[in-house]
Amino acid sequence: MIEVKGLTKRYGDRLAVDHLSFTAKPGEVLGLLGPNGAGKTTTMRMLTGYLPPTEGSASIAGYDILEDSMEARRRVGYLPERVPLYPDMTVRGYVTFWARLRGIRSPRKHVNAALERVHLMDRQNQLVRNLSKGLRQRLGLAQALVHNPAVIILDEPTIGIDPQQVIEVRESVRALGKEHTVLFSTHILSEAEHVCDRVLIINKGRVIAQGKPADLRRQMEPKTQLYVVVGGASGKAARQLLSAIPGVLAVERDGDGYSLTVEGDRDLRGEVSSHVMQAGYTLLEIRQATTSLEDIFLEIVGKSR
Amino acid sequence: MNTLTIFRREVEQYFTTPFAWLIAAAVLLLTGLLFNQNLSQAARGATIVDPAFIPSVFSFALVFFAPLLTMRLLAEERREGTMELLLTSPVDEGSIVLGKFLGAWFYFTLLLALTLVYQIILLSISQPDIGHSLCAYIGIWLYGGATLAVGTLFSALTENQIVSAFLSMIALMLLWLGDSVGQVIANLEVARFVRTLTLQGHYSTSFAAGLFRGEDVAFYAGIIVVLLFLTMRLVASNRWR
Amino acid sequence: MNNRPIVITRSRVAQFGSIVGGAALLIGIIGFIWQGSLTSFVIVTLAVGVAGLGLWAVLNPQEFTGFITGRQVRYGTVTLFSTLLLIGIVALVYTQLQRSTVTLDMTQNQRFSLSTETLGVLRRVTRDIQITGFYTSRNLTTRELDDQFFRLYEDATDGRIRRVYIDPEENPAQASRFGVQQDAQVYISYLNTDGTEVDFNTLARVPRSGAQERDMTDAISRLLIAGTVKIYFEQSLGERDPLDTTSEGLSGIHNGVQESGLVTAALNLAGLAASGGDIPADAATVIFARPLRGLSEAEIGVIDRYLQRGGALLLMADVLYTDDAFLGESDLFNQYLWERYGIRALDAVVVDTASSGTTALDVVSAAVYTDNDIGARLAPDEGISTLFRVARAVDVNIDSAPPNIANGRVIMSSPLSFGETNLATLGATNQFTFDEGQDLPGPLTTVVWSFHQQTQAKIVLVGDSDFATNGLALSPQGNGILFTDSVAWLTNLSERIQFSPQAFSANLPLIFVSQQQLDLITFVTIILLPGATIVSGLAIWARRMRQ
Repeated sequence: MIEVKGLTKRYGDRLAVDHLSFTAKPGEVLGLLGPNGAGKTTTMRMLTGYLPPTEGSASIAGYDILEDSMEARRRVGYLPERVPLYPDMTVRGYVTFWARLRGIRSPRKHVNAALERVHLMDRQNQLVRNLSKGLRQRLGLAQALVHNPAVIILDEPTIGIDPQQVIEVRESVRALGKEHTVLFSTHILSEAEHVCDRVLIINKGRVIAQGKPADLRRQMEPKTQLYVVVGGASGKAARQLLSAIPGVLAVERDGDGYSLTVEGDRDLRGEVSSHVMQAGYTLLEIRQATTSLEDIFLEIVGKSR
Repeated sequence: MNTLTIFRREVEQYFTTPFAWLIAAAVLLLTGLLFNQNLSQAARGATIVDPAFIPSVFSFALVFFAPLLTMRLLAEERREGTMELLLTSPVDEGSIVLGKFLGAWFYFTLLLALTLVYQIILLSISQPDIGHSLCAYIGIWLYGGATLAVGTLFSALTENQIVSAFLSMIALMLLWLGDSVGQVIANLEVARFVRTLTLQGHYSTSFAAGLFRGEDVAFYAGIIVVLLFLTMRLVASNRWR
Repeated sequence: MNNRPIVITRSRVAQFGSIVGGAALLIGIIGFIWQGSLTSFVIVTLAVGVAGLGLWAVLNPQEFTGFITGRQVRYGTVTLFSTLLLIGIVALVYTQLQRSTVTLDMTQNQRFSLSTETLGVLRRVTRDIQITGFYTSRNLTTRELDDQFFRLYEDATDGRIRRVYIDPEENPAQASRFGVQQDAQVYISYLNTDGTEVDFNTLARVPRSGAQERDMTDAISRLLIAGTVKIYFEQSLGERDPLDTTSEGLSGIHNGVQESGLVTAALNLAGLAASGGDIPADAATVIFARPLRGLSEAEIGVIDRYLQRGGALLLMADVLYTDDAFLGESDLFNQYLWERYGIRALDAVVVDTASSGTTALDVVSAAVYTDNDIGARLAPDEGISTLFRVARAVDVNIDSAPPNIANGRVIMSSPLSFGETNLATLGATNQFTFDEGQDLPGPLTTVVWSFHQQTQAKIVLVGDSDFATNGLALSPQGNGILFTDSVAWLTNLSERIQFSPQAFSANLPLIFVSQQQLDLITFVTIILLPGATIVSGLAIWARRMRQ
């Protein structure tokens, strides 16, 4: 559905998107994960035809975004990061307007379906300006799917809304993924994990990791962390002691104590405490920290930096 | 089709926001006051009622009034981000610009039509020169279209509505000054040429005098076409930056 | 190392070519749009432009292709060129429409259309005429408005009449040659045979009044007849002298006739009678400005032959207290006129007891007949009247006019006037009283006309000659009008410049409205309309706010 080959965007000397290539299959929710300024929005803007790529090509449902721009645009529903609204229109009028512009002659049915889908049917005659932020987000979603596009592109749709609504939006996106190809960007890893079938982690315009969220997690999981504060030992002695414990891969000074990287998913707390006791020191604190996807994400991004 | 959709949204916008109604009321009040002044003078025998009076009031009022109508056309779309959505919809830039311009022109047309009330009043108390008035009305209608095209262009240049209105007012003021160009430029031929480039130069001595000239129509139509074309390219330039 | 300077030169040349080429191309295109045709200047600049860009392409092909294939540049260039092309098309359509004068006059009084009368005059234009307008740039709008109008004349004559505008401040020498005194003056003249210079002998200023078309067409008509119509002033019978500049002389009207483009000459009737000659064939009118004696039979014969040929006479018969007075009651010529043309002079002085003049002998026109053009512009009610100082009553035989004669009155005195027949007493003592049965009861006729339908002979008989003198010709206004319109009728000038009056009514509609109506209108237009607009706006807004 979406095919991207070597897509590049250069602003002067700065590379915003650097030879990006990926594909998204029908019925897939593909997450674009990356920090701010990673090139997510630029990529999406190129795919929707708002910005021209400097190099490379992309196609949507088989239509090249440059050669067959109109056909490609016809098959895309797009929700930019800041929901674009006409405050003086009614909810229904707004969705109808976009339906018409996307070539639907008699939009009544489509509009009804879209409003049902985002649960805005009971507010169809309200003015857009009187909607809450979460409702506006849902309205934005309604306009993106009203023409039943093959591809739906959502740019950080959960930003700035309250947690309850975040969950609603995530659910809607997941539901959309059953019928459409959804390209979904976020900078929150857990969100990508919840919503996406597949995640591309991008930084500085490049893909630095990709795969199913679970796979990505597994890749990182071996590295369990243990935090230990030892009393009565000099820094050198403590370090020596800790690194001598079997199963400890690395010791790093972290504030008052030390961070230990532990092999596999073994729980070493018992062994660490007995070693410290045996050496005649006191164990002031010990705590196990399982890495979250956030940490993986930060680590990967940090590495690529 | 897309032009029509955008046109309809524009017109709806004019009629559902208080702003446009306030402008209409202000214009009616202004023309009403001047009309009454003119009429009572004429009734006392001091002057005659110029058949082109109301249109000529517009010829100046449009300098301030057209930018107010057009300032939000494209600037607001850019500020609200809806321009991004418009440009990623299967709509060409020409439809966007044309639909919006036609919406503004349509609103102006209705406003102008409201002032026909004055002609009806005149008709009931006198035998005004209807042909002359009609000619002036046709003229000011085209003139209005040209001023709205200027405003549309400036609306596309900036996303700040105030800046857009201010710039187009300055531009329109310069274009309006046609009749005074002779005061500034001593050389008659140069003054005359400059005047043919101004809005007044194609209204005050032809349409307003009751003379319908093909070249004046060509001038206003030309201004509209060229400026809308430039606006369209400007809007499309988002895609090429 | 040796190559290096050459490489630098090469790319520099390419750079130079690109800049010069681009600039020249731009100038060439602008020049083409400006001048509207491929002039040599345009061709040269375009050629330089293409050559410069070609140089660039050849010497530095990489940079060149990189430049034109860059998207922004390509896009920008396409925009620039298509905009220029569009402007060019608009300019072309504009100039074409301007040249072909696609206009529609929508005014009720057809201000921007020429009347059929004017078109008739313009059909007779055979020599190039120039309308010269002197306008400063401050009067630009007046000039534009006038130009719309003058253009009609140019178009109607396929350019035989051309328009030239001169700024009197830019070109004071020309302005003084034409005698320009104020802004926005317009002159009309023939061009010299080579068609370049104004023929100053034919120059005339076009007056500026409310009736623009009449003024201009009049001026053209005068130009057309210039030199073709000859007026003879009879000089052998003791008439007033057309060259006399005193208040008793006729130099004023004589100059006026000349300024109107008519040619004047002196006529010696006595001499012609003696030699058996004829009045010249080119005599459009012969003016007898108060002959002092009666005519001989031979002289009447000369006049008769002239009238038989369709001649025209303007006879001014004043009161003379002599026996052999011109047109005395028993005078042969007076009898001739009565029998053949149904008009005659009476031996009676008009005494107007209601006269507004200094004495009862100052006869003011009280009634004017407008069935003839002579009286058309005289309107005593509007203060345009004539004043005859000691006028003679004249008579017209309308009821039993001689065969083929159409005749009529032009001016009559007031009903309170009478005709004093006792000339001897009046002449000696300046006394007058109404003697029942002897004197003629008023009102009395003072100006009559007669027209022979077969021979086209025309005669105007005025019972006064003072009205045409320098002292009275311009004041009151009616005197001059009586003279010029008489001459115009006699010479058929008025037929050449004939206007239907309504075609030139510059009057815009009057307003009939009561204070009550005015108040109602004020209420509707200032309170009701804007108020209703605001209220409906607020209503819609409030309704939507609640949604």
